[in-house]
Amino acid sequence: MENNFYISQGPHQFTNTSVQKMMKDVIIALAPAIFASIYFFRIRAVILFAVSIVSCMAFEAIFQLFMKRKITILDGSAVVTGMLLAMIMPPSLPIWTCIVGSLVAIGLAKQLFGGLGANIFNPALLGRAFLMAAFPTYMTRWNMPFTLDAVTGATPLGLVKFTQNLNINYQELFIGRVSGSLGETSALALIIGGIYLLIKKTIDWCIPLAYIATVFVISSVTNMIAPDTYAGAVFHVLAGGLLIGAIFMATDPVTSPVTKTGRWVFGIGCGLITMIIRLWGGLPEGVMYSILLMNAVTPLLNRLTRPRRYGT
Amino acid sequence: MSYDKNCAEKPKRLCANCGREFCKGLWRENPIFIQVLGMCPALAVTTKALFGFSMGMATTFVLVCSSLVISSIRKLIPPQVRIATFTVIIATFVTCADYFLKANFYTISKELGPYVPLIVVNCIILGRQEVFTSKHGVFNSFIDALGMGVGFSAVLVLLGSIRELFGFGTIFYYQILGEGFEHWVVMALPAGAFITLGFLVGIFNWINNKRKK
Amino acid sequence: MRNTIKMISVLTIVGLVSGAALVFMYKYAKPLIIVNQKNEMKQAIFKIFPKAKKYRKETIKDETIFKVNDKDGKFLGYAFLAEGYGYQGTIKMMVGIKKDLETLVGIEILESQETPGLGQEITEEQFKSQFKGLKTSPPIIYVKNKKPTKPNEIEAITGATISSRSVVGILNEKIKTIKDELR
Repeated sequence: MENNFYISQGPHQFTNTSVQKMMKDVIIALAPAIFASIYFFRIRAVILFAVSIVSCMAFEAIFQLFMKRKITILDGSAVVTGMLLAMIMPPSLPIWTCIVGSLVAIGLAKQLFGGLGANIFNPALLGRAFLMAAFPTYMTRWNMPFTLDAVTGATPLGLVKFTQNLNINYQELFIGRVSGSLGETSALALIIGGIYLLIKKTIDWCIPLAYIATVFVISSVTNMIAPDTYAGAVFHVLAGGLLIGAIFMATDPVTSPVTKTGRWVFGIGCGLITMIIRLWGGLPEGVMYSILLMNAVTPLLNRLTRPRRYGT
Repeated sequence: MSYDKNCAEKPKRLCANCGREFCKGLWRENPIFIQVLGMCPALAVTTKALFGFSMGMATTFVLVCSSLVISSIRKLIPPQVRIATFTVIIATFVTCADYFLKANFYTISKELGPYVPLIVVNCIILGRQEVFTSKHGVFNSFIDALGMGVGFSAVLVLLGSIRELFGFGTIFYYQILGEGFEHWVVMALPAGAFITLGFLVGIFNWINNKRKK
Repeated sequence: MRNTIKMISVLTIVGLVSGAALVFMYKYAKPLIIVNQKNEMKQAIFKIFPKAKKYRKETIKDETIFKVNDKDGKFLGYAFLAEGYGYQGTIKMMVGIKKDLETLVGIEILESQETPGLGQEITEEQFKSQFKGLKTSPPIIYVKNKKPTKPNEIEAITGATISSRSVVGILNEKIKTIKDELR
């Protein structure tokens, strides 16, 4: 018998959200940060963005062909993964390393787990985590903006952590004239993108708020206790990958909890782990690992915070 | 015990049996891919192919020797104390293997570190004694242990070769990839062991599924 | 009752036979292992002091040191073991120092469990050779991502600062104790 009926559970409410539409919004929201990074890192940014996007789309098509799935490279999710992956790469990264990162992000993190919607970890972050473990020397070499491979300079978080240099130029930090990953330096551009996504209701405000607030509270407290060793709250919010992580990565609808309580716990957990790594860990930055770790407990959070069925 | 009798009566059958007992350790009941036993050494010492090989050989030695001894005295051991007896016998051979490596292959034994003494708790060995050796004759047990040992060693060498190739550009210290190759540090780390093993088990199951069809 | 006796007797016999086998194995292996360990130290000392011909073990207060001589019996310097925690496990090394106690002759890593391909680079010639001729006072320090400029500086391995720092720390501490003991 042919199955002509579409059976689903209630409530039967129609929304016209689709993958394409969401991805389009995310791409628009990423645009300011991408322009900022092209402005700061010039040709390196252009090359890395192009390579990352093209190779992500290519790997998506290859894997879907190989696994005999429907080819969906035009829904935009591979493009977004490619953009996010490039945004969290150091500007001096060799091109082939970027391609390996795309392979891990699309192949390992996304397609082997079953494609869009079935992945446990955020693909771009897993790609970066793999590169971090495989090529630590490339992944920790930073360039100052406008210098094109010439001058290496530690990131603001690295300076604070390893040299106790607390002379922070907040204006440059806000605009993004500091060294760091391609798309993470400009807080201004990221905030513009975040506001756009919030207005369009593409992302929920719970996770970013919980995440940033946790970081803000912990860094204020530690700064109050020991102002000479720990930098202030504004610094910790603006520096490093916190904003890009909180706005674009932690809010990934596939890898974050679906319930409201779950999202609060998720955001607070991310903030806690980030600050623990930043203040007392071996690395200057902890956003990547914090989100990946919280991704891992997302199924558990979903189960624990499942709402009561109506009428029970 | 009818199994043994069959073997003794029909020499032709014996050969076939013997081949089957040996080959099941290589593929059908591979200790790592199918039984998923002995994960600790498989993940910990396979940073290089040579270490995987040495570990495999040491394990095979212990497995074969203890199988021989246990199968020959299996009828004398009271079932209540069989595990204790097995453990004593296995531990003896493990200590012998450890001393032998330390005396003759000092550098390798230093690299393998505590994982040679830890063969005592390798589930493959005690598992084989429980499942097979305590119920079968000396000859069959020997073939079974040899097959399992070779199957285990083969996977360890494969795992070690892949990790050494990506992590250091060499296999058995023989330069394969050119000087310009950038070493993948992750492959020399525990994370690389898990990733490689995951891929190998995946490929193994994929082949098995294809063959079943 | 009979069963109990059987259990006890089987375990006893198995234990006795195992014990006997181990005694033989131990008798065979122990001398070889000792030779291996001695060889390892000897090679390390001779690698640090290429001209060395023989050395003498001496215990001064609580420290064991080796006095190294060349073939004419001329005193070359001291060698001693230094040990401490690295990134993942113990780092054990042989250190050679000139008789004035101010200049390092070299170091050799005997044992280390650092990250392969990263921290384990401390066993590579490129890292170890930096210690040749290094001044021991003021204490050795490490610099990152640039060439050392002062006579007591070494360059840390990129991406393995903790391992490099551990080696320097272990060295400084041990050299200080040795200096105190010998003066």
